[in-house]
Amino acid sequence: MKRDVNRHISDKVFTGVSGGAIILLCCVLLLVLTPMFVRGASAVLFYGTVEFRKMQLELPIFDRGDAEEVDAEVAQALDARQEAFDILARFREGLDTSILRDQAREMNRAYGDYLRTLNLDRAEYRARRQAVRDIRDGFEAALASSDNAVADELLLGVAEQLAAVDLGGTPAEGFVGLVEEYQEIVARMDLSKREQYAAALDEVQEALRGLFGPLPGEAIPPLAMNQYGATRWSRVKSELDNLLWAEEWREVTPGEPLEKVRIARTEQFAGTELADMFGLIENNIEAMMLPRFTFYWQYFIDDSTPGHYFGGVGPEILGTFLLTLIAMAFSVPLGIISAAYLVECAGDNVVIRVIRTCINTLAGVPSIVFGLFGLAFFVLFLLPVFGLGSQKSILAGGMTLAILVLPVIIRASEEAIRSVPRSYKEASLALGAGNFRTFVTVTLPAALPGILTGIILSLSRAAGETAPILFTGAVALGPIAKSILQPTRALSYGSYDMAVGDRLSALVPHQQYGMVMTLILLVLCLNVIAIVIRSKVSKKLRGY
Amino acid sequence: MASEKQLSIYEDSTAAGFSRPLLLTPSEDLKGYIAAHVGRLLLFGITCVSVLAVLFIFIFVIRESLGFLLGHGLGGFLTSTAWHPESEPGEFGAVGMITGSVYVTVCSLLVAVPIGLLAAVFLSDIAPFKVRQYVKPIIEILAAIPSVAYGFFALLVLSPLMQNELGFTTGTNILNASVILAVMALPTIISVAEDSLSAIGREIREASYGLGATRAETIIKVVIPAAHSGIIAAVILGMMRAVGETMVVWMAAGNANQIPSPWWNLSAAVRTMTATIAGDMGETVQGSMHYRALFAIGLLLLAFTFTLNMISEHLLARARRVKGGGK
Repeated sequence: MKRDVNRHISDKVFTGVSGGAIILLCCVLLLVLTPMFVRGASAVLFYGTVEFRKMQLELPIFDRGDAEEVDAEVAQALDARQEAFDILARFREGLDTSILRDQAREMNRAYGDYLRTLNLDRAEYRARRQAVRDIRDGFEAALASSDNAVADELLLGVAEQLAAVDLGGTPAEGFVGLVEEYQEIVARMDLSKREQYAAALDEVQEALRGLFGPLPGEAIPPLAMNQYGATRWSRVKSELDNLLWAEEWREVTPGEPLEKVRIARTEQFAGTELADMFGLIENNIEAMMLPRFTFYWQYFIDDSTPGHYFGGVGPEILGTFLLTLIAMAFSVPLGIISAAYLVECAGDNVVIRVIRTCINTLAGVPSIVFGLFGLAFFVLFLLPVFGLGSQKSILAGGMTLAILVLPVIIRASEEAIRSVPRSYKEASLALGAGNFRTFVTVTLPAALPGILTGIILSLSRAAGETAPILFTGAVALGPIAKSILQPTRALSYGSYDMAVGDRLSALVPHQQYGMVMTLILLVLCLNVIAIVIRSKVSKKLRGY
Repeated sequence: MASEKQLSIYEDSTAAGFSRPLLLTPSEDLKGYIAAHVGRLLLFGITCVSVLAVLFIFIFVIRESLGFLLGHGLGGFLTSTAWHPESEPGEFGAVGMITGSVYVTVCSLLVAVPIGLLAAVFLSDIAPFKVRQYVKPIIEILAAIPSVAYGFFALLVLSPLMQNELGFTTGTNILNASVILAVMALPTIISVAEDSLSAIGREIREASYGLGATRAETIIKVVIPAAHSGIIAAVILGMMRAVGETMVVWMAAGNANQIPSPWWNLSAAVRTMTATIAGDMGETVQGSMHYRALFAIGLLLLAFTFTLNMISEHLLARARRVKGGGK
């Protein structure tokens, strides 16, 4: 009795465990697909900022949007940013004394030239020239000092000197203004922290460039990726974080490894006027960036800037399409005819068994070996024979894929042709049609949905394969192919390249995930179509 | 007289309102005969393209690797772990890669076989038709997801997770690649194993139930032993998928040409044969020894999968014979 209970329980447990295996599979599928789709969707659906619209308008590969509207928006955003930029400029002047120093030197030089035009006697000339030189030297010493008290004292000295010499009307009269300006700065800023500020300011400016694009007065950078600020709201947030918080490695507990500490920039720049800028930007960031919900469906047709920093996957989709099209053009006729021969004409003899073994072998060859074969045969041997040049090309890649999917198509077609009821064929033969006519007009149409399913499945297989086109047809970068004798970008290889790519692609995770999402979407759509067709066919066949 | 009669038969087209004579003239007959045979031959020729493709794959991979095999021989290739193809003279020891491939394959099978077998049993013996109808497309979709997408997942989702949350020294390691390869091998294992389990006739199961066995006992003690050929074939096919897979191991196995030490250290990075070919081919000069050595690795892979394929085919043929004999 007890043994029976045990057996019963172990039976239930077994059922539960094997059901669990299926549930595990479903979970794995969800686990793999969810991050791809969730993060990939952000390539198409996101909050685009004014920088995004500006980029879409200005870059020639997009050239999209209403120029007036965008210009108005840009002006509005610039207006909002101006106050922050002004604060920054003032602060920079205090920090970077080279501007004031250059002005002082220039004034000194101009004064020298001016004196020469006056035809003064030697002694007088020397005295006046030397006075201004002293003023300049005193001013430069004040600029160089990193102690507020010393600088103040030096400036006072210079001011006295200035008062002693009458420079009114000469090119050197601006010295008064310069000294006053610098006195103000000295009053505001702790000069001893100047170097510290300078390093931190570099980080702040970098973050500002990331946020708003090149700062006012800076030259336009050559790379498109540096010409625009944060184009999406998520990026705005991360750049804003860089702007508002500094990260430092500090020894928190003695003897332990350094720990990362976040310091607010307002604390870092406490007491300076720059401290105000952070609050200003944080509070007005929406006015500065003008985020708006964007449905960027053109992602699927747009070309991209180098490194996929901006733009979409248009060329990749086109390349994948061309590669699979060529693969299908070769493999579909071959596959259907082979299947027809194997079902209709062939018996079971040694030759047929060898052919079947070969088809199975072909199905089992690793995809990277197909790549090697494609390189050795199509690229280096066959194409040169026809005088088409031995280089990676869509044609070579497509033909390699054709061999890869050939066994898939043969097997699917064979099964479809075999599953056509015998009575169809016998009815046709009884009406006097020949073997060929029976096959073309009766068997083939009846088997077509099944064959189509196989074709669609092999299409999705060909679109997803990467290894065979690595050496035969795919490149990561490059212009859109103009003929099938050139290599092309493809979704599968692009996904690989974006995943392992340099620091640049890590900056644009939406582009990484967007690419692989497009690939999965394409493959899944094809598979769903195939599954639907097949379920219809099987319903029909069950009906008879 | 006879020939006149025959002639009239050939020309008698109006008898029953047919638009053309009922019988073909001898020349038409001959034409049809020739057309049928020429057509057959043509179809046979086209069918042979698959054979040619296999032949050419072998010929060209061997042709490109011949220079290496003659120049360096198999000895160093199969015994040394030193892989310095660009040094002078180059060292070509593939043992590190072969063990790398073995590691990820065996580990992935350790994960995939139990789960795959349970799932196959569930689908063939336990699940009602409705459930099967919904689970099958899920398995198909699992099989359809491109390998580069799995590799992407391994590299950008799983690897940071392992490195940051689970405390691995590197997120790209044997374990990561094996788990993903297991997921990729599962659909193959499930579908082949399920086919062979379903092929075992009802009467065998019913005999077992009739003797009072529970479902679990029937499956474990009767159905699985009866279907063992097909199940082994399923495992071998899954193994082929794992050995031949390129993108996942290239992206997720770490690409370090080393033998893990100690041997159970699954958090070590390894480099497989396929990843070596994929990674190195872009940097070689065509025709160089390095290039030929990569083809030699390809040949090794090809020979290995070919052997596995032959074994699985033999097993599946036996499974079919057993089923046929059982009836």
